[in-house]
Amino acid sequence: MPAPETAAPAKLKYAERPEWADVEPLQQYEIANPLAPILYSEEYKDATDYLRGIVKAGERSERVLELTEHVIRLNPAHYSAWQYRYETLVALSAPLDVELKLMDEFADKHLKTYQVWHHRRLLLLLTRKPAPELALIARILQRDEKNYHTWAHRQWLLAFFNEPSLWEGELDFVDTMMNKDVRNNSVWHHRFFVVFQSGVREGEEDRERILKRELIYVKQNISLAPNNASAWNYLRGVLEHTRQPFGSLAAFVQPYTVPLPASTTDIVDLENPPPGRDADLPCAAAIEFLADVYEERGGADNVDKAVELWRSLANEHDTIRKKYWEWRIREALATSS
Amino acid sequence: MNREQLPSTLLTSLHVSYIQNLGKSTDDLAYHLTAHLRLNAIYWGLTALFVMGHPDALEKEDVIQYIQSCWVEEAGGFAPHPGHDVHILDTLSAIQILVMYDALDRIDIPRVVKFIVSLQQPSGVFAGDSFGEIDTRFTYIAINALSLLGCLDQMDRDGAANYIKQCRNFDGGFGRCIGAESHSAQVFVCVAALAILDRLDEVDGDTLGWWLSERQLPNGGLNGRPEKLEDVCYSFWVLSAMSILHKIPWIDAEKLTAFILSCQDPEKGGISDRPGNMTDVFHTNFGVAALSILGYPGLVDLDPVYCMPAHIIEAKGLQKGWKNLQRRVE
Ligand SMILES: [Zn+2]
Repeated sequence: MPAPETAAPAKLKYAERPEWADVEPLQQYEIANPLAPILYSEEYKDATDYLRGIVKAGERSERVLELTEHVIRLNPAHYSAWQYRYETLVALSAPLDVELKLMDEFADKHLKTYQVWHHRRLLLLLTRKPAPELALIARILQRDEKNYHTWAHRQWLLAFFNEPSLWEGELDFVDTMMNKDVRNNSVWHHRFFVVFQSGVREGEEDRERILKRELIYVKQNISLAPNNASAWNYLRGVLEHTRQPFGSLAAFVQPYTVPLPASTTDIVDLENPPPGRDADLPCAAAIEFLADVYEERGGADNVDKAVELWRSLANEHDTIRKKYWEWRIREALATSS
Repeated sequence: MNREQLPSTLLTSLHVSYIQNLGKSTDDLAYHLTAHLRLNAIYWGLTALFVMGHPDALEKEDVIQYIQSCWVEEAGGFAPHPGHDVHILDTLSAIQILVMYDALDRIDIPRVVKFIVSLQQPSGVFAGDSFGEIDTRFTYIAINALSLLGCLDQMDRDGAANYIKQCRNFDGGFGRCIGAESHSAQVFVCVAALAILDRLDEVDGDTLGWWLSERQLPNGGLNGRPEKLEDVCYSFWVLSAMSILHKIPWIDAEKLTAFILSCQDPEKGGISDRPGNMTDVFHTNFGVAALSILGYPGLVDLDPVYCMPAHIIEAKGLQKGWKNLQRRVE
């Protein structure tokens, strides 16, 4: 839970504080223009006037850290305040662990502000201690599971430091996030990044085994929640990346393309896990996949079967993309005749 | 809000006065909190006005003077607002507005070019500012700006295209940086940048077109990633990329048009992200821009690569081979 804002004693403006008397505040250039008159809060104006003064004088000191923190708290997107803060930290050889700790609060509060993450990245390049950062990212992703900046930061951290110990827990982390929301596209993307996109790590050299593992993983997830575009995209991505024919999955996909049978028996089939009892079938993504299988096989009979499936998508199961399915039908018929 | 009360035609005159009034209610808090967007906001407002056929709705000379007041002499670029920091985003907005007003002679072009080129990184991607945030969005912005200034040859074009290529994901889409998830807005910037560089061969048009058409939800709206909510601004990101790839016919244009129109504020004007929400100039522009791409009657053609009026880009000899829907007659 975020700490409640402490009731700070009424803050004096910099202009009224004797320890800042030696700084010449620099006001921003104002023009009279009906499109854009300037009216900021007094506090922000006061702080940024002093920041401009400090920057002009080139001062690097403890109080610069105080002032830049103040400006950033008022406007976390103020990138030159961040930049000046970072340069000051370096100039003062300030303890960066302390800075990162302070920045944890910002990451929590302003997780959608890019500067927060970029500042962390610059600090990490100096501290070169990525492990605690993974834990922080994990904690923040618990709160905002699809945050684009946070995921990109994690991907950068893993690839940049590229230490076996960092990668080690990554698939477990994917599982944790997947268990929270199996439809989270960011998690599926991250899994692809970890398994296929970021190089082959020790223990993963047997690509046959990895492919098998991934197919079982995605099939099980589809069986739990068939109408999940991210999982189907992942399946396609894996097959294309490893150059496997779609047809190798035909037996698995088929039961998802038809209505759920009235009575099902509980079969444990790791190769081809069947849809669950409350599955909403037929599943459009499965129909699309099976049509691709027929098209891949080729020949007039198979194209006819594919066309029939596309028609069912166009007219019944995915009508919003009717134009797309009609295009597929035209293309397939034109190339097969 | 009741569905039946939602607007079903474009309320052009309301939107024109909404945009004209934006700079006037300066005593409300929202205005001050958005100072960091000011030049962008003028670009959004002006583009929407041009597309709605009201290019003279703002005081041209006031706008140009305001742009000049955002010039940052030390850096050679533009800030969102006088006294703020220079940024590539605002520098592009300044250039786009001046191109629309045919007033590029009012700025020091060689210095602007130097500033933009200085932001390209060894990897080929561009940073947005000196703090160093990198993003394929900034690569597009740099390419767009340099192209408008006729100075594309001053950047490393192969390097930029090569970086974008590395951002391509298994689903055919593009992300913000290498390794990042596909996202419609990033798809637009990458595809449009490659279009300007004449490097669309790096795009798998059918796979990406399919991914983009998958963004349409049963209510007609488009989202940015699978399992996310629809939002008017994604109408533009998705449609512009599809127009460049010649895939607009895959969209259910009727339903998308109805969705965008339902996001208008029928009293005060402006368009919001979803029906009934607060309007803003960003969604107003991208809503109107998307309607233009969809061939909505009475609108001016929009160039989806530059997000500017098509006749202006064509006059500069910069038009690429995009394909919007044919304009309908009422
Ligand atoms: Zn939006």
